[in-house]
Amino acid sequence: MPVEVIMPKVDMDMATGRIARWHVADGGRVEKNAALFDIETDKATMEVEAPAAGRLHHIRAATGEDIPVGQPVAWLYADGEPLGPAPALAPRAPASVAPSAADPAPATAPSPGRVRTAPVPVTPVPVAPDPVAPDPVAPDRTEPAPTRPAVRATPLARRLARERALDLGTVKGSSLRGRVTRSDVEAALLRTPPPSASPAEGELALTRAGNGDRTPILLLHGFAADSAGWAMLEGLLPPGHPVLKLDLPAHGRSPRQPVASFADLAQCARRAIDGLGDGPLHLVGHSLGGAVAIALADTRPRRVASLTLIAPAGLGPEIDAAVLAGIARASRVESLAPWLRRLAADPDLITDAYARAAMAARQNLTLREAQSAMAADLFPDGTQGFDLTAALHRIRAPTRIAWGRDDAIIPWRHALRAPGRVGLHLFESTGHLPHIERPHEIAMLVMEMTQLRAASD
Amino acid sequence: MQSQPAATREMSYAEAIRDALDLAMAADHTVILMGEDIGVYGGAFQVTGDLIHKYGPDRVMDTPIAELGGAGVAVGAALTGLKPIYEFQFSDFATLAMEQIVNQAAKLRYMLGGAVCVPVVFRMPAGSGTGAAAQHSQSLEAWFGHVPGLKVVQPSTPHDAKGLLLAALADPDPVLIFEHKLLYKLRGPVTEGHFTIPIGTAEVRRAGRDVTIVATSIMVHKSLEAADILAAEGVEVEVIDLRSIRPIDRGAVLASVRKTGRLICVHEAVKTLGIGAEISAMVAESDAFDYLDAPILRLGGAETPIPYNPLLEAAVVPQVHDILRAVRDLVAGRA
Repeated sequence: MPVEVIMPKVDMDMATGRIARWHVADGGRVEKNAALFDIETDKATMEVEAPAAGRLHHIRAATGEDIPVGQPVAWLYADGEPLGPAPALAPRAPASVAPSAADPAPATAPSPGRVRTAPVPVTPVPVAPDPVAPDPVAPDRTEPAPTRPAVRATPLARRLARERALDLGTVKGSSLRGRVTRSDVEAALLRTPPPSASPAEGELALTRAGNGDRTPILLLHGFAADSAGWAMLEGLLPPGHPVLKLDLPAHGRSPRQPVASFADLAQCARRAIDGLGDGPLHLVGHSLGGAVAIALADTRPRRVASLTLIAPAGLGPEIDAAVLAGIARASRVESLAPWLRRLAADPDLITDAYARAAMAARQNLTLREAQSAMAADLFPDGTQGFDLTAALHRIRAPTRIAWGRDDAIIPWRHALRAPGRVGLHLFESTGHLPHIERPHEIAMLVMEMTQLRAASD
Repeated sequence: MQSQPAATREMSYAEAIRDALDLAMAADHTVILMGEDIGVYGGAFQVTGDLIHKYGPDRVMDTPIAELGGAGVAVGAALTGLKPIYEFQFSDFATLAMEQIVNQAAKLRYMLGGAVCVPVVFRMPAGSGTGAAAQHSQSLEAWFGHVPGLKVVQPSTPHDAKGLLLAALADPDPVLIFEHKLLYKLRGPVTEGHFTIPIGTAEVRRAGRDVTIVATSIMVHKSLEAADILAAEGVEVEVIDLRSIRPIDRGAVLASVRKTGRLICVHEAVKTLGIGAEISAMVAESDAFDYLDAPILRLGGAETPIPYNPLLEAAVVPQVHDILRAVRDLVAGRA
């Protein structure tokens, strides 16, 4: 039996992967553990090693194509094994119990970069005809590809797309019958900023996902994270709400200039939401992003429909600044992973692959230096140098705080300084990353906040 | 405006029209009034009032209940050098005078190679809301707007009623002025003395960035009421009072649509084949088309005669809540 090569899960919140490059051509021979192909995720490019020695056949994944995690991408034939027909992707019973693709890599054998050989139940997907064994009697495929259905778009959306060289077919319409309007085009343009934009200047990076005409949800990540960190929560958020993800200064795709004070940080975020028009937003902020959310709700009360604070900073002096500094300065996986593992209640949640992906997103020295400077300025002497308790008391928007009882970075007891009208949700066996450790429960909280708002409208 | 003295006086729409008639008759002895019961009775809506006592029955002439004859005399008087103002008791009865308005007044200058002009003004009390039922409540302005050679105006305020009537009198060609009957009692500041509002100019009654409403006559007020409510919801509506439907102020409409990207036309006249259709097509044919970010909506009268039952009468023409719904749907992408 040939050995199946699957799309591995190399990143905790990875649902699909893209093969950037095959190191071995179809029919080529490869040694076990030799580089087989490169995977590109949102965060990094990683080498995947061959699970066995042999000849590579039946490559099913073209480079650049999004492949669901766990789906076979090729097969390896042992030396002397006769070449068979391309294995079907039809549903089949798993030959043995295999870890679900959604599980983190087993803690006993943490080799997430390696390819699992056990068959994984996968959803059958239509695949291209096997290039190895073309059907000789198949008619030549010269008939034109079915044309894409005409894009429904307003004249203004068409004009803007034309002027900005944007393919309207790639834009999802939020209006009636999927009609693309100006706001959809502008959101799409935001998602794909011109490559010439210098990361050192300009506005904070904002990613927009999802469609709908309901109040948008704005996600504010924590220190040393970025908007990619919301991936697990994002897919669980209630439909109909556009999701906006802001990269804080010196984080993600935002300008890599550090901010010297929390006030400056809040001002940057305020400018960013001012640039979004004047409609209300549901704010969801984690850690430092939670503090930013409080500041926004305090200074832009009419823009904030609700506030979901996940282990927010700014409610007390204690913080494990050593972890923040360690993460900010780490230049290699070996120095990053131990600090990352402090974030979750279950350190095994932070797999090697996760740490590698996180490091890949932190390759830029300017970014690391800017974050180190921010850590020193915002958390001097291991202390939270800003206090938003008074601001939280002033806020009238519905507010909830979610915290892990095992948070090792900011003690959950800071939540007790919140006024009585703020709801508190404490999660057992949860650390500083409730939105990653308990995404379903956090998504439920956010959904309840959006419904509260709808009821009061 | 040609001249605009600073002083204004608060008066009703009907009083503003009478003020214009009085000014014009005092200044120009060729101006005469004609119509049914406009003399001692003062007019069906008391617009001419006591002018007969001031200018006498030679210049304020009661005419028989025969609109074709009355309009014919008016057109003939205009051809011979007078400036007649003919009042229909209800604009619905202009249907009886179509020959004189459409075939004579509108055509003579053209057919005689410019040798004559027909400076007649027809005053057209119009619209529903008075419980006067199907034959006394119509909005027929678009019928006349379809005829080259005529000019058609629809003032929505007392000030505009006076300024447009004086402009109509100064115009060498036939002008029909549609006065909504529910507006006669509307009060507002009116500039004193003689002034004109150029025919063919619209007025932005309220500026806004989100949606353009092009409205006529009483619908201007309903649109402004809706715009107030919508402003509290964060939706800024720009309300354009068209004022003149022939000629239409194309530039004002297109400029606003280029700004807001959304257009709603609101008029009381039946929607089908109406002014809203004309405005919509005008935008679609222009460069402003490329600025549209939503379908164009029209609100107009239903496909029915105006009912006598007051609830039904209100239901068949656009109301504030209809405008609110249209704007909300448009802004939310539900239209």
